[in-house]
Amino acid sequence: MLLPEPSEVLPEELAGLWRGQFGGPAPRPLAPRETVEGYGTFTFPYGPISMGVPESGRFDVVTYGERILELAPLGGYKQRSVLAALAGTPVEDAALRIERIAGNFSAAHVAAFLAAAESARGLRVPVVELWTRALAQELQRIYNHIHVLARIAEAASQNVGQAQTHALAEEILRLQARAFGHRWLFGALLPGGPARNLDRAGRHALSEAVRTPAREFDDLWELYLDSRVFVDRIQGTCPVPREVAVRWGAVGPTLRACGVPWDDRLRVPEAPYNDLFVALAREHDGDALARLLVRVQEVRASFLLIEQMLDRWPADVSLSEAPSPPVRPGRGVGRVEGPSGDLVYDVSVAHDRIVSVAARTPSQANWPVFAFGMRGAVFTDFHFAFESFGLVFAETDR
Amino acid sequence: MELWGGILTAAVAGLFLAAPLAAWRPKLGYGTSAAAAVLLLAASVETLVGGTIHGPVWSGPLGDPEGLTLNGLSGFFAFAASLVWVATSIYSIAYDERRPSLLAVCFALTLGSIALLVSSSSLLLFLIGWETMTVASYGMILQARGRRDRVFSAAFVFLAFGEASTLFVVLAVAGLRLGTGTFAEVPYLVPGTLSTLVFVAALLGFALKMGVAPFHMSEWLPIAHSSAPSNASAVLSSTLTLAGAYGLFRVLSLLGYPPLWWGAVTLGIGAVSVLLGSLFAAVSEHTKGLPAYSTIENNGLVLVALGVALLARAEGLTELYVFALFAAFYQALAHAVAKTVLFLSAGWTEHATGTFDLTSVAGGVKRGDRAAFAGTVAATLSLAAAPPLAGFVSEWMVLESLFQSYQFVPAWVQFLGLISGAAVALGAGLIVIAMVKFLGFTLLWSPASSAAPRRSRGLALPIGAVGAVVLGLGVGAPWVLRFLAPTVSAFVGSPAAAPVGQLLAVPTGWSILSGSPFGILSPPMIPITIGLGALVGLGYYLLGRPSSRPARRAAVWMAGSPAGQPGELYTSFGYSTGLRIMMATILGTREIRSSAGSVSEAGLATPVPYSVDLEVLDIFKLFYDDLVRAGEGLAALLKHWIMPGRLGRYLAYILIVVVAVVIYVAAAAG
Repeated sequence: MLLPEPSEVLPEELAGLWRGQFGGPAPRPLAPRETVEGYGTFTFPYGPISMGVPESGRFDVVTYGERILELAPLGGYKQRSVLAALAGTPVEDAALRIERIAGNFSAAHVAAFLAAAESARGLRVPVVELWTRALAQELQRIYNHIHVLARIAEAASQNVGQAQTHALAEEILRLQARAFGHRWLFGALLPGGPARNLDRAGRHALSEAVRTPAREFDDLWELYLDSRVFVDRIQGTCPVPREVAVRWGAVGPTLRACGVPWDDRLRVPEAPYNDLFVALAREHDGDALARLLVRVQEVRASFLLIEQMLDRWPADVSLSEAPSPPVRPGRGVGRVEGPSGDLVYDVSVAHDRIVSVAARTPSQANWPVFAFGMRGAVFTDFHFAFESFGLVFAETDR
Repeated sequence: MELWGGILTAAVAGLFLAAPLAAWRPKLGYGTSAAAAVLLLAASVETLVGGTIHGPVWSGPLGDPEGLTLNGLSGFFAFAASLVWVATSIYSIAYDERRPSLLAVCFALTLGSIALLVSSSSLLLFLIGWETMTVASYGMILQARGRRDRVFSAAFVFLAFGEASTLFVVLAVAGLRLGTGTFAEVPYLVPGTLSTLVFVAALLGFALKMGVAPFHMSEWLPIAHSSAPSNASAVLSSTLTLAGAYGLFRVLSLLGYPPLWWGAVTLGIGAVSVLLGSLFAAVSEHTKGLPAYSTIENNGLVLVALGVALLARAEGLTELYVFALFAAFYQALAHAVAKTVLFLSAGWTEHATGTFDLTSVAGGVKRGDRAAFAGTVAATLSLAAAPPLAGFVSEWMVLESLFQSYQFVPAWVQFLGLISGAAVALGAGLIVIAMVKFLGFTLLWSPASSAAPRRSRGLALPIGAVGAVVLGLGVGAPWVLRFLAPTVSAFVGSPAAAPVGQLLAVPTGWSILSGSPFGILSPPMIPITIGLGALVGLGYYLLGRPSSRPARRAAVWMAGSPAGQPGELYTSFGYSTGLRIMMATILGTREIRSSAGSVSEAGLATPVPYSVDLEVLDIFKLFYDDLVRAGEGLAALLKHWIMPGRLGRYLAYILIVVVAVVIYVAAAAG
């Protein structure tokens, strides 16, 4: 045998190869660390490859067994340097990469990025484009919230509920595919997006089609509320006090679950939200159940928004709106309320090409409060707590 | 008979003689102890096989005949104890490196006094042995290395409990003397108020020595708190508590027909001890504290079996009575032997790593000596009741006796049997956690950094030898039970046959039967079955050998990060924290945090370092602390009001007493 069989290449060699060529992983803390010591304490590494978390990311759990004294999320295992590589690319090409940073949140990322780029370039935006972005974002918000519900149901071994919820989430993905030409909305939100199916007939079909999942979701949630075991398991799990959430800058459902009425769609109502009724979701307990309740309210609010949008879709395609004023010439900021929270893009453009892009993602803002909430929890709380925040490593390892 | 009487005398004398020899040359003392223990072993085997042996007889100070003798009952306890002593004495030759060694002197004295009390023909000699044993073992605990104040306080606790025990034992013996008019072995005491008082005093006195709940402090605290020497711990935990059990059995054999509640109380105490002992063993982080707590559990099992036996006797269920007694004796034997290994092994680990802390020991010995490794594995598995070892057979017998509590007529006794059965089963589960932890974190755990241990053949061989005995006692259980028949006969007072029989294709006499058609177990068949299974596997491996894929060993893949860093390994503390949290109400678990500031005030930029300690609490210890405080308060009051240190007051007391005596004498004369 001349060539070694694949099984004969040792993982250590692969690791050496990787380190030699790409520098290897550079784990970095995503939340502030405390120093805890005590008899019998040790650091239990969970990840970077694990069953429970679908991404490469690591949690250093400081524990004396069973109880989590401190949780340190470590990112850097799927660092792709997408933003750094954008310099010099045309804005439209850049958008195609931006939406691949975190597929679940593609619409929010692209919308925020485009708003920032338009503000930087001072381009007027067709109103229909703004409505299209909003429609896509609300659909994707519904998908994400239902996905979170399914993941929590999976953690709680609610097998029937989990299967039905995943099926419902899949329905939303198919709706997205039918309306925008792509399950994850890739490429669909570029100006004049290629494969959109949002003419009068398409809009009518969509408004008919969303009714079923909306009703199914309500029925499903009633069933979840009937499961005492399920509600008990997430109630009181990983509580985040209001003061901590405010002081440490939590965003999105995490912040609203602590009773803070902050939603970007209401804070600075831009088109089309200034024309629509946006229901504010809010809870007060700050635990996993409160976060889930906020998401449920938001799913209903988003279905209502979609209904309103499809009903009042702008007929005049020639209308356009001025972008928000740039921070300074050539540099703009875009801000949207993503499914997991407030998402900000800061884009500098020169001659229609990207100079630099920076972003503050919801995961980035929420990692510290998640780590805080986990202090004092037990190992089995981890899954419920983690899923309830809607955190992804992809948003920090960009 | 003359010959064996002489050998018995030589054995007891030799054990005492070892003390002055040890003062001169410690190793010579230990050697003498070992030789005398071999003689005692021989004498006890002869007793169990050939019948009662009589040593010299002389006339005691109170006119009773005193002397040395071994009958079926005391022969069994002498057998179990001397088995332990042979191994422990040989082990001590290598273990105790101090010269001169006060430890060796106290060790020899303890062995001698236990031998004396076991082989005493009268209760007066028994009491003398009992008190010498307490004082000599107090001396052994004092020899612990470690912080002096802790050693003194631990030894003091031991002595306090020991003297309380002596007090009750003296009361029990006095009661027997009052009822029968002699210290010698006599026919049964007539049931009545006196016999009840004797029973209560004996149960309290001997339970104090056995270290069962609620007196378990007397067992674990001196051993763990002071880090007593390992050979001393083995003798304390295996044979001192065995002496307690012996005393209880001996007094009970003199008491005759028991009322129902005697058995119920014994069973209840036993069941609580099983539960508490195993729970605390599972959360102990001390290589000697853990076995010490396990002793509480095992002595609890002895009491459970004894309780069932007493209940069966009261209910007239002869078959169950005899079976439960066999279970009690077998449990005592299995525990004494296996527990010895554990303490010797803890000493061996300390020898190699210099610590008794399970979390720090982790992996320190890493298989070192094969004999010690095998012995420790056998003993821990036996204490965790894994087949086919001795502990498995005894635990099976205890549970089988409990299963048959449905035969009792009163509903409350059935209910008690049910609850005790549940407690024992739960304890049996918890002790598995404890034993896995002990074995795993001392021997099986192998972090990459562990250095080669200091080898010591002198320590390893006794451990391995006793481990082999543990295996032998398990596999050969039906024959050992036949060997124990004279013991049960001596206690019952009529010939009792071992509960062995025949069922299915298993050869006659290879099986243990509980009740005529109840449970059955054949210990020898277990290794045979396992061996056959292994043969099938071996045959498949040799003949079949499907297209062999070579095994490949590789490091753990952690996405390119180095895996298995020292700080990332599970600690033994972490292993049982789940239990600490689940059982927080019983264990009184609380977390103590000490930090510069409150955790919630920690800002993003300024993390506050803090330390965490999770503590468990023994509610009984709180009770004793209160008792001590009350005693001290009472002493202060007495000092203030009655003994103020004024000469005039004391002269007045003397005057009052003299006047009172004069009046009493005058009244008696008149």
